[in-house]
Amino acid sequence: MDFLNSIMVAAKGLRAQSGRMRVIAENIANADSTASTPGGDPYRRKVPTFRAVLDRATGAHNVELGPVARDPSAFSVRYEPGHPAADEAGYVKRPNVNSLIETVDMREAQRSYQANLNIISSTRQMLARTLDILRS
Amino acid sequence: MLTDLPLFAALKHKMRWHEARQTVLAQNVSNADTPGYEARDLSAPDFGSMLGAARARVTSAAYVQPARTNAMHMTGRLSAGGMTQEAIDTFETTPKGNTVVLEEEMMRLADNQMQHQMAVGLYQKGLGLLRMALGRGR
Repeated sequence: MDFLNSIMVAAKGLRAQSGRMRVIAENIANADSTASTPGGDPYRRKVPTFRAVLDRATGAHNVELGPVARDPSAFSVRYEPGHPAADEAGYVKRPNVNSLIETVDMREAQRSYQANLNIISSTRQMLARTLDILRS
Repeated sequence: MLTDLPLFAALKHKMRWHEARQTVLAQNVSNADTPGYEARDLSAPDFGSMLGAARARVTSAAYVQPARTNAMHMTGRLSAGGMTQEAIDTFETTPKGNTVVLEEEMMRLADNQMQHQMAVGLYQKGLGLLRMALGRGR
C-alpha cells in the first residue's frame, strides 16, 4: 500500500537524520579533544555521508547513512608549552572542528528531520480521511 | 461494481495517483541531503481521457484504450497505469548535485494532501447521492 510505503521512506529519512545528529554531537563534544602523547594527533572531525538505496520490494529510493568519513583538513596548532601533548617547540595540535559550522549543520539536520515528520503526519491524515469514507 | 460508474472510477484513479505521488514526495524529502539525487515528481495524468475511456466501458480506468476505427487494426494498451516519474526542473542545485528544495517539497505535499481530500470528499458525496437514490436518506 502506497501510504505505508511513504511512511516507511520517511521513517528511514528520520533515522538517517538522527544518525547525522549523532555525528554532529560527537564533533561538538570532541571539539577540544587533543592527544595525550607529545606530537600525537587530536580528534579528527567526522563527516556523515548519505546515499540513496533502491528498495526492491517497494521500488522507492530510501536514504541511508553511508560510512562516516573523516575530514582531511589540517589541524590548527596552539602554543601551549605545559600541555602533555606539546611537541618540542611547545605547540599542541587542536582538532579541526569549527563550532560554528557544526551549529549550522545541526540546524540543517533539524530542518530535514522536521520535514520528514511533516511527511509522516500528512500521510497519516490522508489515510485517516480515506478511511472516513467507510464511516459516512 | 461501484467502479463501473465513471465518476467513481475516475475518483478512485485520482486517489491512487495522489497516494503514489505521496511516496515520490516522501522519497524526495528523505533524500534531501543525498549527493547526486535529483528531485522527482509524477507526471500529471490526463483525467479527461480516462473518463472517456471509462465511458467506453473499459474494465479498468487505469488504462487508456486506443479507439479502433477499422476492424483490421490491432487493439492494445497504451500505458500501464499512466503513472510515470519524471525529473522536475528546479532552480537550485547544490554543488554536490542534489536538486531537492525543501520548501518546494512542502508546497507540493500540501497541494497533494488537499487534492486527495477533495477527491475523498467527492467520493463521499457520490456515495451520498447513491444512497439518496436508493431511498435510504442520509
